[in-house]
Amino acid sequence: MKRDATAVGAHARPDVALRLAAIRAGERAAIARAITAIENDIASARALSAALAADAGRAHVVGVTGPPGAGKSTLINALLAEFAARGRRIAVVAIDPSSPITGGAVLGDRVRMHAAGAAESVFIRSLASRGHAGGLAKATRRIVDLLDAAGFDAIVVETVGAGQSDVGIAALADTSVVVCPPGLGDDVQAIKAGILEIADVLVVNKGDQPAADRTEQELRDMLRLRAHRPGWAVRVLRTVATTGDGVPALVDALDAHATDAGRGRRLARAPAPPAATAVESRLRGFCAADPYQRLNALEFVESGPGTVTMRMRVAPQHLNFNGKCHGGAIFTLADSAFGVAANAYGVVAAGIDTHTTFQVAVSEGDVLTARSLEVSRNAKIAVYRVDVTRGDGTVVASFTGTVFMTRRPHQARPDDLRP
Amino acid sequence: MDIRPKVLVTKIGLDGHDRGSRVVAAHLRDAGMEVVYTPPWQKIEAVVKLAMEEDVDVIGVSSLATDHLIVPKLMAALRDAGLTDVVVIVGGIVPDADEQALLDVGVARVFHPGSPLDEISAYITEATARVRAARFPA
Repeated sequence: MKRDATAVGAHARPDVALRLAAIRAGERAAIARAITAIENDIASARALSAALAADAGRAHVVGVTGPPGAGKSTLINALLAEFAARGRRIAVVAIDPSSPITGGAVLGDRVRMHAAGAAESVFIRSLASRGHAGGLAKATRRIVDLLDAAGFDAIVVETVGAGQSDVGIAALADTSVVVCPPGLGDDVQAIKAGILEIADVLVVNKGDQPAADRTEQELRDMLRLRAHRPGWAVRVLRTVATTGDGVPALVDALDAHATDAGRGRRLARAPAPPAATAVESRLRGFCAADPYQRLNALEFVESGPGTVTMRMRVAPQHLNFNGKCHGGAIFTLADSAFGVAANAYGVVAAGIDTHTTFQVAVSEGDVLTARSLEVSRNAKIAVYRVDVTRGDGTVVASFTGTVFMTRRPHQARPDDLRP
Repeated sequence: MDIRPKVLVTKIGLDGHDRGSRVVAAHLRDAGMEVVYTPPWQKIEAVVKLAMEEDVDVIGVSSLATDHLIVPKLMAALRDAGLTDVVVIVGGIVPDADEQALLDVGVARVFHPGSPLDEISAYITEATARVRAARFPA
């Protein structure tokens, strides 16, 4: 799989299907480039976001907010170290304000995440708010969905230094952490009615300062006075981000909130129905109705936009006189992944040309996987590339194929076939 | 498409004279760019990881006390990581005798003391347009 992803990245094609594969494989450069596309609202990013939406909802999204200078970035650095110690892969989205006058921004949050940010298990991206209110950048939600699809265990979103009304994070995060510096007295008063209300976990950072006791007490008093809400009891914790004191307890609290039944807003959300389901079941139907695929014992694995994956275990029936897998059998597997993918659009796609190279000999018992990727498509012609890989990831054959898109519909309704 | 350059302003090596990089970073911000700024003393691997994750268009390396001599190592590390389309510029004190060596390893431009700030931002704007056009073909 890893090898496959690298091969896809090397082609650097703008095609959605190729980029999807690289993002799902966690390829750092592909993820970063896709974020740029989303942030700048480049046309192809919309198709990418739509395709990735079905994968979202697995990661634990933690929002970290609080007034400027509370120590949000430094606390996230400490969190990253603790997450890493627990073997988790973490993405951070750090949002800094854009200048309202020039639109420019200095993105400095990640500087404070320097120590832990260097780890391979950590991905950090800075965003400028670009005039979007609420402490977030406009594209934040779609970027979080992308990082979710890329397989990170948790995504930490750091807001712009927040004031009373910057509560947008609550709608985005599963768990909202509000960081309060000690001894701000009136400032804590000022934010009581606003961001303090959205907190699932309240953190008094710089907890080694004398005023921390009083701030913690004020926050506990505030919670006591608040109307009782059923379910999760908001926790108040003390941390010293610069030393890491209290940070393991904070991660425990985040985990508790994430797993507390029905609490994680995002985790609890029913997984979005994958848009491709109707298409996929139709494509499975094609395979089931294909006598030649049955004869060769091909197996449909999965499909996505412009891509189909099929599998074949090399059996005695597939061998040639040299005792190796027959080229025709490998071709059949590749041709099937190509043909099924090309027929996903509701009209009969007729193969008119293919080319195959066989790189590596294949033996009985090997399990071959063919994955087709759409290279280009217009109203008449579509071109696909198929890599056939062995169980160990070696590419054993490379196939390209061209179809002519007839105007003749399949018996199915076209609406069912739209990817 | 909104082309707002994303620029990394950094210093590698042991030299801590960061006034120049701060001045340039502030100017680029005021020119409407999104600037990722780092303190001095960055490790080369850290710069590569940062440039990749932030998907910057341009990296500006400030050098006032011979740090430019390790810029070729940075260029090699960027290349190894596949970051071949990032434009790297160097600003600060670079002896004339060393400039060609930097250009030879792929540095796009060297800005010497006295370079007008507007010239730097104009160059970055133009370079970004090229980078983005290649990264996101219409």
